Amino acid sequence: MIAAPRLHLSKADRRNLRTAAPFILPWVIGFFAFTLYPIVYSLYLSFTSYSGFGNATPVGFANYQHLASDPLFFKSLWNTLYYTGLAVPIGLVVAIVLALAMNQKVREVAIYRAAIYLPSILPLFALTFIFIVLLNPRFGFVNYLLSLVGVPTINWLGDPKWTKFSVVLLAQLGAGGPALIFLAALRAVPGELYESASLDGAGALRRFRHITLPLITPVILYDLIYGTILGVQIFTPAFILVGGTSGGAAYTAGPDNSLLFYVFYLYKEAFQYSDMGIASAMAWILFLISVVLSVIIMRWSRFWVHYEVS
Amino acid sequence: MSLLSWRGWKASLVFVSVVLAACGGGNQSAAPLAGCNSGTTLATFWTSHTPPDSDSLKHIVDAFNKQSTATCVKMVQVPGSETDIAKLTTAVRSGTGPDVYMLDRFTVAERAAAGVLEDLSQYGAQDLASNYVDFAWAEATFKGKPYALPFDTDTRAMYYRKDLLQAAGITDLSALDPANGPPTIDTVRAMANKVNHKTGGAYDVVGFIPWINQGWHYTWGFVYGGSFFDKSGCKVTPNDPKIVQAYTDMFTNWSKSLGVDAVQTFISSYSPPNQPTQQDPFLTGHLGFVISGDWVLGQIATYTPNLKYGVTYIPVPKKGDQPATWAGGWSDVIPKNAKNAKGGYEFMKYIAGEPGQRVYTKETQHTPTIKSLQSDSSLFPGDHQFFIKQLSAAHSRPPLPVGAFYWDQLSTAQDAAVRNTAAPQAALDAAATATNAKLQPFCPLA
Repeated sequence: MIAAPRLHLSKADRRNLRTAAPFILPWVIGFFAFTLYPIVYSLYLSFTSYSGFGNATPVGFANYQHLASDPLFFKSLWNTLYYTGLAVPIGLVVAIVLALAMNQKVREVAIYRAAIYLPSILPLFALTFIFIVLLNPRFGFVNYLLSLVGVPTINWLGDPKWTKFSVVLLAQLGAGGPALIFLAALRAVPGELYESASLDGAGALRRFRHITLPLITPVILYDLIYGTILGVQIFTPAFILVGGTSGGAAYTAGPDNSLLFYVFYLYKEAFQYSDMGIASAMAWILFLISVVLSVIIMRWSRFWVHYEVS
Repeated sequence: MSLLSWRGWKASLVFVSVVLAACGGGNQSAAPLAGCNSGTTLATFWTSHTPPDSDSLKHIVDAFNKQSTATCVKMVQVPGSETDIAKLTTAVRSGTGPDVYMLDRFTVAERAAAGVLEDLSQYGAQDLASNYVDFAWAEATFKGKPYALPFDTDTRAMYYRKDLLQAAGITDLSALDPANGPPTIDTVRAMANKVNHKTGGAYDVVGFIPWINQGWHYTWGFVYGGSFFDKSGCKVTPNDPKIVQAYTDMFTNWSKSLGVDAVQTFISSYSPPNQPTQQDPFLTGHLGFVISGDWVLGQIATYTPNLKYGVTYIPVPKKGDQPATWAGGWSDVIPKNAKNAKGGYEFMKYIAGEPGQRVYTKETQHTPTIKSLQSDSSLFPGDHQFFIKQLSAAHSRPPLPVGAFYWDQLSTAQDAAVRNTAAPQAALDAAATATNAKLQPFCPLA
């Protein structure tokens, strides 16, 4: 057994720590009060019936049992996993392609980088509204382009078969963020490796396959885990697309509830149906799902992530 | 040895004062706003309404502030909708909620049951009951206690575009004259089918889509004589055979006859999510008939003042059936932990009383819930009279502690029927099972 190393602080270190303590304290308090406490409290609430007001009444596992028999719960879970399964790999490819484009040695690269990154800093609200116009089945630009190559009209936001894919497309407008991280990873690849590969006669594709890709696998792993955790929490685009009002009252979450994502349903349980107990139970199930997915990706990554070359 | 060095304490003091200075000055000031009388106390009023309705609310607030010597109201527009009160619940829970909130009246029982609202008995609100129409007052109460003061109401009817009907060769519109009673659904279907028009294989004009706008589950359920709630059994009854029939005729079969995908593509094209009112397919000439409320009169006056349209009863299944409609509307409530609840109630009595409702009716063409105003015909010019006359026989949604959940369940079943993905009976059975499970803990409701 290895003993924990004892912390040896000099007088100056201790003085510095004392000086730093009050500056750190707000964030430490913040973490305990606004992160750790709500997490623990929500676990307790998941075993109660609670509207958010008054007293929480313990109900044992009733909330979990209710969810196990709720078809909409499973629908929202399916919608979310379907979305994540599509959005994460597509987002990964798009981000790498964008990073490769931003890594080109051309004079105007700064302009391209700004243009590619720009959608990532635009409010998602505005992007979603633009998307609604672009995806209009009759007047939208996307269907117009597709019609030029003979693709029949697609009802992107009105046909349950296409709605989730529409949100996946929308998510790609935010690919500029991950692309920047990939760009940094590409920049870290030693140039001499490419040079020697070129001398050995390797083409661009072969260099990418055997040098670039293996060396950016740690970042790919990061993006996969981060993308998955964000993916299962998808909420905003669906809420803007269908969470508003339709002729005076809320309608379903997209055709056939196809955009009823997990967190959207959780939000409805908490703030429309005032059932914080069920919402808390859902939050904990989602947490466990995220942990399981992350562990699976981490284990899988042993087979393809290369940390050896620095 | 002290825990912190003197330099550390000094630094933390500076930090804390900077944070306090940055955070201070929020809602602490009791100074009245511009337009308020001196010596008044601030009360906040939140609404999720948007223009033009929120403009009218602001006029009412300004008029109140001018005459009140005790309270100064600050109106704030907040995010939210009929059933979404996330902003309110989180604010109330953290002690930063408003003193008055504009809440959809059919959710009052639900929010009262959840403990979000103050019981207004302490202010003597029950004494105002006789001022309001019965159904509106019933919606404002829960377990016999008042939790809201009713604000506006509305009724639904069928609008039709004379120009589109005439262009389709329908010259005799006498069947749509309200003097001849409600038209039958078959009559409207025959007319609507003539209006349908396609370009390039897709609809660009559709005669009638029963579920667009206000053609809700409740609308057709009431038209077919269905009952949505069994009071004595304390259970919802969306699978009432009459409601199942309404779903079958007006959603499943109607959608099938137009072509399920074709009509959905039309809706996505001409009535996409979050569409601005001025692009509404009825106003822009892409729909021949539409079920909607009296507020559309105001929209027509604003956006298409030259529109050639008519208003008649919602069509009925058989000749001779009684016309049916339903009334909704909003209300004013005092949320828990209100800091100036007394001032808030003073404002509520004004806005939900005669002065406020008079202004709102005039400016937005909604319908008042105050009995004395309903008999003032000067408030209801033109077609608005037709809506007012329907009010006495209008249905209203059952005020349930699971009203929002029930609405969503009915909507899910409606969506399945429209898309022909589930039989109405099965979809409505599922809605009944899910809603009754949520309702049972609140029973009995009386």
